Amino acid sequence: MASRKESGSTLSAGMSSSGGTLDSPVKQIQIEGLVVLKIIKHYQEEGQGSEVVQGVLLGLVVEDRLEITNCFPFPQHTEDDADFDEVQYQMEMMRSLRHVNIDHLHVGWYQSTYYGSFVSRALLDSQFSYQHAIEESVVLIYDPIKTAQGSLSLKAYRLTPKLMEICKEKDFTPEGLKKANIGFEHMFEEVPIVIKNSHLISVLMWELEDKSTVADKHELLNLSSSNHLEKSLQLLMDRVDDMSQDIVKYNTYSRNLSKQQQQKHQYLQRRQQENAQRQSRGEPPLPEEDITKMFKPPQPPPRMDTLLIAGQINNYCQNVKEFTSQTLGKLFMAEALQGHNN
Amino acid sequence: MSRFFATGSDSESEESSSADEITPKAPGTTFKQSLLLSDDEEDTKRVVRSAKDKRFEELTNLIKTIRNAMKIRDMAKCLEEFEQLCRAFLKSKTIVDKEGVPPFYIRLLADLEDYLNQLWEDKEGKKKMNKNNAKALSTLRQKIRKYNRDYETEIAAYKENPQESADEEEEKEPEESGSSSESEGEAGDEGVTAKVFLKKKPAAEATSEASKFLKSAKGSGDESSSSDEDDDDGEWGSDTVGSGSESSDDGEGKSASLAVVFLKKAQEGEKTSEKKKDVRKKRHKKKERLEEEAEEEGGEEAEGGWEKVKGGVPLVKEKPKMFAKGTEINTAVVVKKLNEILQARGKKGTDRAAQIELLHALAAISQENNLGQGILVKIKFNIIASLYDYNPNLAAFMKADMWKKCLDCIDELLDILFDNNNIFIGENIAEDSENLGISDQPFRVRGCILTLVERMDEEFTKIMQNTDPHSQEYVDNLKDEGRVCGIIDRLLSYLETKGSTEEICRIYLRRILHTYYKFDYKAHRRSLGLQGETKSEQDQEESEGEDSAVIMDRLCKFIYAKDRTDRIRTCAILCHIYHHALHSRWYQARDLMLMSHLQDNIQHADPPVQILYNRTMVQLGICAFRQGMIKDAHNALLDIQSSGRAKELLGQGLLMRNMQERNAEQEKIEKRRQVPFHMHINLELLECVYLVSAMLLEIPYMAAHEFDARRRMISKQFHHQLRVGERQPLLGPPESMREHVVAASKAMKMGDWRTCHSFIINEKMNSKVWDLFPETQRVREMLVRKIQEESLRTYLFTYSSVYDSISMETLSEMFELELPTVHSIISKMIINEELMASLDQPTQTVVMHRTEPTSLQNMALQLAEKLGGLVENNERVFDLKQGVYGGYFNRDQKGGYQQKQGYQRDQKGGYQQKQGGYQRGGYRNQNQSNY
Repeated sequence: MASRKESGSTLSAGMSSSGGTLDSPVKQIQIEGLVVLKIIKHYQEEGQGSEVVQGVLLGLVVEDRLEITNCFPFPQHTEDDADFDEVQYQMEMMRSLRHVNIDHLHVGWYQSTYYGSFVSRALLDSQFSYQHAIEESVVLIYDPIKTAQGSLSLKAYRLTPKLMEICKEKDFTPEGLKKANIGFEHMFEEVPIVIKNSHLISVLMWELEDKSTVADKHELLNLSSSNHLEKSLQLLMDRVDDMSQDIVKYNTYSRNLSKQQQQKHQYLQRRQQENAQRQSRGEPPLPEEDITKMFKPPQPPPRMDTLLIAGQINNYCQNVKEFTSQTLGKLFMAEALQGHNN
Repeated sequence: MSRFFATGSDSESEESSSADEITPKAPGTTFKQSLLLSDDEEDTKRVVRSAKDKRFEELTNLIKTIRNAMKIRDMAKCLEEFEQLCRAFLKSKTIVDKEGVPPFYIRLLADLEDYLNQLWEDKEGKKKMNKNNAKALSTLRQKIRKYNRDYETEIAAYKENPQESADEEEEKEPEESGSSSESEGEAGDEGVTAKVFLKKKPAAEATSEASKFLKSAKGSGDESSSSDEDDDDGEWGSDTVGSGSESSDDGEGKSASLAVVFLKKAQEGEKTSEKKKDVRKKRHKKKERLEEEAEEEGGEEAEGGWEKVKGGVPLVKEKPKMFAKGTEINTAVVVKKLNEILQARGKKGTDRAAQIELLHALAAISQENNLGQGILVKIKFNIIASLYDYNPNLAAFMKADMWKKCLDCIDELLDILFDNNNIFIGENIAEDSENLGISDQPFRVRGCILTLVERMDEEFTKIMQNTDPHSQEYVDNLKDEGRVCGIIDRLLSYLETKGSTEEICRIYLRRILHTYYKFDYKAHRRSLGLQGETKSEQDQEESEGEDSAVIMDRLCKFIYAKDRTDRIRTCAILCHIYHHALHSRWYQARDLMLMSHLQDNIQHADPPVQILYNRTMVQLGICAFRQGMIKDAHNALLDIQSSGRAKELLGQGLLMRNMQERNAEQEKIEKRRQVPFHMHINLELLECVYLVSAMLLEIPYMAAHEFDARRRMISKQFHHQLRVGERQPLLGPPESMREHVVAASKAMKMGDWRTCHSFIINEKMNSKVWDLFPETQRVREMLVRKIQEESLRTYLFTYSSVYDSISMETLSEMFELELPTVHSIISKMIINEELMASLDQPTQTVVMHRTEPTSLQNMALQLAEKLGGLVENNERVFDLKQGVYGGYFNRDQKGGYQQKQGYQRDQKGGYQQKQGGYQRGGYRNQNQSNY
């Protein structure tokens, strides 16, 4: 248990160096061990398969550091309590927590994920509304499958200021996105995470580690890969299909657009010629007609979904890459061990 | 002094307008008319007057309503009526041109304008009006202003001298009523006397105030006069013009013209005696004229009793007398009479039932008088034709009694024709070259028995179409099919001796159409070597004669050889194939279908033939299925089933569709094309056969191509059913036929043939589907066999990766197939490279080769392919961007651009060829080096 935690923290420490250039109010996130355990427990108890669990993060902002000190889950939605009021529930919870003197400031939310598929419209929308209301909000993504394979996967994301702008304007047309100059790489920013435990807990950990058997550690070399890879590939393929469709859609759109532009141009030229002729004959020029009415531009396809899909694909690729590199590492390690034993 | 303005009484003004209808006429013409006494001229005059009257009556009626509306200040109504009036006036333009604008019309226009202006000024009143009315008022005011501009002079004249114009009319009025109440045959001086009266009339008018007191007295006078005329009317019918004006006045009741009544009274007072005489005279004349008219219409000789029958259609209730007593009845007379009766055919007022009666009576008479068969045949022809004519609508079907009559008639006709060899009938025998009388020469009669029988057959179809197929009535009607067939058979034998080849072809086709869809149980049993169990059945068998197959063969071959119209041959071929297929003669049916090349050009045929074609294809498919040719069955049924409109394509019912796609007219036409219920092909059987064959083809195919990204579906419909099955949240035991097939497919996917078998063949499915086949047991055995074989194949496809080797003996046990069969199936799979394995002869095992990629590898390949597509699509976007600029602004570079495209296409080809694991950079480099 302790080893996992440590690896998680080292992992995030490694990441913090990569995502160092942030101009957001939050540069670092410090999570209490309690929160991590609570999230894991929540998934274990309520989520199975591709189902997703969500909850609220509580904490406070200290300078440029967001400290997450507590959390509570959202109850799973079922068919029969349609009149369940989420906001009401949150308020109640927060009030109750305040009564027992626990941090009760809303600083974001968490969500579990299934093979890293979390980049979706729903996440974007809710994170936008969070960040819109509370500027420092983050979303914690917890990947239970990866965690089960031995490395705690917990990542904190925020929307980039650029994306916030776009979402505020709700302009998802190709032009709008072009103007904003946003790519899938710049949609989310990852914030480095540090897991912090009180010294008492650290001491307990050390003790526990000493007591745990060695056999556990050898499981790290386990290559239970194919299933995971297959699943990832499957999901990746689905996304690629979506992407293809979107591209085709966009293609049709731009073709229509250019066709229309051409028509418009021709029409204008014709009109000009006619007017010139009329002028030479001394007649008044033809009245100006509303060209925009004659040529209704085709409805541009919204491009935000495409961006999200691209982001998701990127995410899958990262996952697969990570996974394969780890597996390769394990293979080399196993080879070396083999040679050493011989 | 105008009575309209002086009295201000609306009832009067209205009355006058209604009385006006006859007035607008130059006095000269009236005078002339009264001089024209001869009946002929009177008739022509009547025509002119009635056209005019009709128009003017329409106008006056409208004017009356307008005045009413004015009275109650209903502007909306006023406006509406005025618009109608304008339209009506426009319609009567021709008459107006001839006669000049009728003064009453001008009067209304002037009055209406005044009235409107008055209303317009009356601000108080306007405020009280509701919104609708106010709006109508302003519209109407504008309208009438514009409209009156055209009649300015007339209106001005009228306004200037309203009295004169009113007088003018009144002048004519009494004249009219005079001429109408008196006979048209009045002498000229009487017209003058009438004029004398009207000189007096204005004086009477002057006392109009006083006349009101006289109302009651006049009322009684009115009544007496009207009662006087009433019996006239009764005699004359209501349409006589003269009394028309009067009776309308009388009908007015209270609003009856004071002036006219007054006038009339004066007239009556002076010449009641004269008038009575006139009336009597007139009555007599009328009667005569009526009779004459009737004669003209009927176009027959002057035989009093007979005329009545023809002329007064509704009056004929008493038994019509055909011929006057004592007339010598001979052929010529009867023919004449027949023509008389026939002349009425198709006319509007003709009572068709009565006509049929008449014809029957005529037939009886001619028979009574022994006029010979010729005339009888002719009459019979006409009776049948009239029976067909009975329904004016093509869509309506014959009533049961009519139908029976028709059948009887045709039977009788055929009897006569068979009995008398010397009757020639034909369509092309001219009417005047007929020979109907008894003589040494053979009879020659115009008419076509074949057409009649064909029509009868169509009527039969129509009756069947219009009967509820689940009622006893349908069964009763269906019993008539025997008779229909009998008639066709008799006609067939008759025509075989006498008819032309063309006619023989036609009647053969009729015969075929009644035969092809019936399963010949007798022949079937015989072919199975079973004898009829009871003696009576055996007897029946013997009487039945030849097999239907033999008959079909004979008839069809005759048509193939002799027919010159393409349609009959096509139908015959299709029926022949259908019949073959129905009796499981698969190869004959298939060969005929292929040799006829019908599949190539059937889409040019008319819808009924196409329906027949569809029916034939379906039957062919079902036949193939019974024979175990699953693939052929599937192919034959694919077209019909994949559209999802099998019901419509087979002409077995209409699909629900919205009206956009089909209007009422089309629906009627489609309804007429429907195949009667007893000829239907069971749609559930059809679908089941299709789905089962699709299952037998598709499941092994799916198993073999599990990872193939570009795998095609063999049957879309089957996949659809599978998906529907998957979507079910709760899987209970299958209920419907489709659910059974889906459940069976699932079992088969796992290679579990036993479960599959139990789903396909069980009691439910037996009763629903399989028992409908004539050779149920054989079909079921075939089916089990197929299921075993295909399950084995599926099993090998699905689970070959699990095995290193598998013994054939085990397989044969698992699937309860003989070892050689298993061996042959596996060998075939290996040869077709469907199964990567080899057979080990000594141990009788299949050794798997494991060359198939793992699922992860498969997945990677698929992903690569998809990415290829993605790149391709992406580059197309890029193309477009370049294309726009390159193509539009710098034309010179177009060549270069195209070359570039070519290059890109090359690249694409490269992607597709390699399918995966390609290196993009490498390709680009290669290609670039080409430039």
